[in-house]
Amino acid sequence: MSTAILLLKNIGKIFETEELETHALKSINLTVNKGDYVSISGPSGCGKSTLLSIMGLLDVSSSGEYFIEGVNVTDLSLDQAAEVRNAKIGFIFQSFNLIDELSVFDNVALPLRYHADKPNNATIKKRVIECLEKVGLSHRISHKPNQLSGGQQQRVAIARALVANPAVLLVDEPTGNLDSKSADQVMDVLDQLNKAGTTICMVTHDPRYADMARTKVQLLDGAILQAPVAKMVG
Amino acid sequence: MNLFTYQLKQAFLSLKKKPGFVFSVVSTMGITLGALLCVLTLAYLLLIEPLPYPEQDRLFVAEHQIVGEEKEDQGKSFSYPGLVDLYKSKAAFEQAAMMTYGQGVIISHNSQPLVNTAYVTSELHQVLASPMALGRMFESSEAINTNNPVAMLSYHTWQHNFNGSADILEQKINLSGVSYRIVGVLAKHFVEPALSEIGRETQVWLPWDYNQEGEWRRQNFGEVSDNLMFIGLLKIGVNSLQAQQLLTPLVNERWQEGVADDDFFKGWSVDIRVRPVKDVMLGQSESIAVILLAGVIFLVLIACANISNLFMSRTVEKQRQMAINAAIGATQKHLFKAMLAETSLLMFMSIILALVIAKSGFYLMQQYLETILPRVNELTLNPITFGCAALITLIFALFFAKLSTRMINYHALNSTLQSSGKGSGLQVSKKTRQVLIASQVALATVLVFANFGLLKGAVKSINAPIGFVTENISTLTLNFSSTDFPSHAESVQIMAEIMEKLSALPQVESIAQGSSPLSGFYVRALINIDNNERSTPYSKGVDHRYFSLIEQQVLQGDNFTNVGRRDGANVIIVNQTFAKQLKANGDVLGMQLSTGSPDPLKIIGIVKDITIASDSYTGFDNTFLSSGVPRVYLPNGLGGRSFMLKLKSGQSVSRQQLGKLLAEVDTRYSVFSFNSANDLLTKSLFTEITTAVTTAALAFITFFLAGIGLYGILSYSTQMRRLELGTRMAVGAKRLDLILLIIKDNVKPIIAGVLFSLVILLSVYFFFSVELSTYITLQLAPLFVATLLLISTLSLLACYLPLRRFINSPAISNLQGSE
Repeated sequence: MSTAILLLKNIGKIFETEELETHALKSINLTVNKGDYVSISGPSGCGKSTLLSIMGLLDVSSSGEYFIEGVNVTDLSLDQAAEVRNAKIGFIFQSFNLIDELSVFDNVALPLRYHADKPNNATIKKRVIECLEKVGLSHRISHKPNQLSGGQQQRVAIARALVANPAVLLVDEPTGNLDSKSADQVMDVLDQLNKAGTTICMVTHDPRYADMARTKVQLLDGAILQAPVAKMVG
Repeated sequence: MNLFTYQLKQAFLSLKKKPGFVFSVVSTMGITLGALLCVLTLAYLLLIEPLPYPEQDRLFVAEHQIVGEEKEDQGKSFSYPGLVDLYKSKAAFEQAAMMTYGQGVIISHNSQPLVNTAYVTSELHQVLASPMALGRMFESSEAINTNNPVAMLSYHTWQHNFNGSADILEQKINLSGVSYRIVGVLAKHFVEPALSEIGRETQVWLPWDYNQEGEWRRQNFGEVSDNLMFIGLLKIGVNSLQAQQLLTPLVNERWQEGVADDDFFKGWSVDIRVRPVKDVMLGQSESIAVILLAGVIFLVLIACANISNLFMSRTVEKQRQMAINAAIGATQKHLFKAMLAETSLLMFMSIILALVIAKSGFYLMQQYLETILPRVNELTLNPITFGCAALITLIFALFFAKLSTRMINYHALNSTLQSSGKGSGLQVSKKTRQVLIASQVALATVLVFANFGLLKGAVKSINAPIGFVTENISTLTLNFSSTDFPSHAESVQIMAEIMEKLSALPQVESIAQGSSPLSGFYVRALINIDNNERSTPYSKGVDHRYFSLIEQQVLQGDNFTNVGRRDGANVIIVNQTFAKQLKANGDVLGMQLSTGSPDPLKIIGIVKDITIASDSYTGFDNTFLSSGVPRVYLPNGLGGRSFMLKLKSGQSVSRQQLGKLLAEVDTRYSVFSFNSANDLLTKSLFTEITTAVTTAALAFITFFLAGIGLYGILSYSTQMRRLELGTRMAVGAKRLDLILLIIKDNVKPIIAGVLFSLVILLSVYFFFSVELSTYITLQLAPLFVATLLLISTLSLLACYLPLRRFINSPAISNLQGSE
């Protein structure tokens, strides 16, 4: 039986300005089970990134309820949300969002520095090296981000997302800033991670990469176009 | 609508959304530019603007400089007969006038006001070409020795005391028993030449013949006074040096003859010094104006640096907007104009505030500094002020716009859009930012500490023990309003009766004859009979109750007695400082001092020193005596018209009550002045109080500016790290983690700033240790620690405040760079 890692019930998001209200998301219901590889796609402005932000507790919904591993996280404070993000969620951004002043090691170690368990340096080092090995960059440990190619930077970002053993990886257009060769390498890494049991939820507008996911969600005008379609695994 | 008008409108709408930024810029620049406009206007008035007299280039003052045996200056004072001789000689001057100041009560007026008077020869207003509101100035009919009792009023006196009455001319006023006919009222814009005391306004002008000098002084060349002045128009073609060379032998010869019988002046001579009226009026104020100007320019530069930080922060905020404009075809010039529209609006608002502050500054200076700075009453918002304001607005608007646009790497703006506002088109390195933070902290620490140091010194002076009590003590001085002068015996009897009545008042605890210790001292020439050494201590006439009434301790010997006063005993009491000056061990009881008269004075007592803040005593050898002021006390006569009243606690006596009491004894006497000793003490502490208030205000302004500066640079620094903060939040950083991160990152430049300030202060102390020894002592160490704590707290707040809006909003807004 599948275990729901993420459960969204009637999630809505309204952006308000003085003049108008924009309904970015309308009553989204979505379940992401353990080990799932979910792609969210749709035309520009359909609410993909907004949905991912809410799923990653980077933003709050205007309505509905949201559960992570069965715990209601709809109304958490900023610090509680940070704790949950640190422990349960790994982020991968389109523009990598690595910190220029920090080395590859320190960038990857960052989530562990904020971890509630306060791991010691030896544990951090072991874990960081493990994650960098997974993405094939353990030899670049002392480099600064600007000394790496785009594809390598994105793989460092993947290592950072993995380092705290999150329940789910939330991936926002991971190949948007990459050439096709680097993009394929990054997607391979994600594919292998999923095959190794990592739950992934990815926003992409590239149908080729969307097809790599086992479950495809189509968004249009803030609403899920049809029930998530699960791809049969042969 | 042209592009700049459109950009002005857009700038207005954009600034409307940033009230905090607008407030910071407008308040900082408004306050500092207000101070700048104020000082610029003052400096123009003192340094450039000619005096408002048509012949001001030829208008000179002759000073009677007494020179000692060793050719050292012994003071600038005329003797009455010497002054009159000079006036009559007419040498070097085309037209000259004598003048002396006084005070009097207009007893013919219902409220019997005490007014400032000036006794002048008829030429004075002619050489000044004084403008008249009504009537005429003095003429030959009021020349010396004509004894024509006429008067001229100042405009203010006419308005204030006579309600601007249109038929004031030919009315009579009675001052000190003389009835004067008013012949003129000076115009509102008449500026009196302040030759003796800055800020003193003569309310009633009277002919020279009625001056208050006694007959003894009028005849005696040895009796000199700094209240006798000579002013005139130099002859065309004669310069001041030539005038000096011409006048000195004439005056010196006459003076030597006059003092030939007085041993005190043996070997002394007189030099006539001829100085422009402008120099005399402005005194040291030109250098004060330059110092003030330098100080305020420094303040403006600090403010400017601080506001530059805010503009850097603002430019970061506007980066995306500028990138969009650049993408759709805006050139660098367009971006500059857009920025100029915003800076122009801000500077316009700042300069309006600055003008309001300058106007208020003029008012405050006129209220509180009119006795310190000359010509402050002429301060007004004039074309110079407005011209400077317009120029400053333009310069600063251009400067800030240029500074902001220089930060922008125009060619990198495109990448800003490509990375959804996350890239950087700005060019201020982390190192530069840290240097800015360190310099802000250093500057703020040095300035706040310096101001606190001065404040502490001023407060210490204010609270310093004075050596006598002022609580519940008031001084009453009587006015005599008649030409029917009583004999000495009658005066003694009248004063005894007045004292008896005053003592009988239920509010009065005790009474003494004589004036308050805060006034009434004058310099007296004395010769030590033992060794013929000359000295010039401060001297004052007191009665036998004086020391006990003010609780000034008699340390050795005896007090005066009433019998001794009555019999004119030749005795004197000296203070500790003078006793030590006369004899190193201070054992001077029985010593005899000569005043030049046949009977020497015998020292019968030694009293404790008193300290009066306004004393600036220069000793016989012209050195300032910081250790104490030498004073002597002589028994006063029984006919003196000043009294000190010690009132019972919580009691008061009104001027009217006293007036009534005096009238019951003798209608020729009225109240000249009735002042509480506490008020006089506050007045004597004017400089210290002004210093305390000014330094406290400056410390506050410096602290405020430092706060703005630190906030600006740290806000900019934090905004530059917005994406990083968002990323850290995304990976689980809590708010406290981020606060600690920012503090940790900024603590290094803050500590560097503190250390730098320490280096500056130690260097200043090292290089100027002699000059600053009075101000910098180890006692200031706790103050320095307090300053550091204050600046550190400010720095921490400046770290936290810009961060607050980032950490209190969802992480996504930082990642996307949206509000």
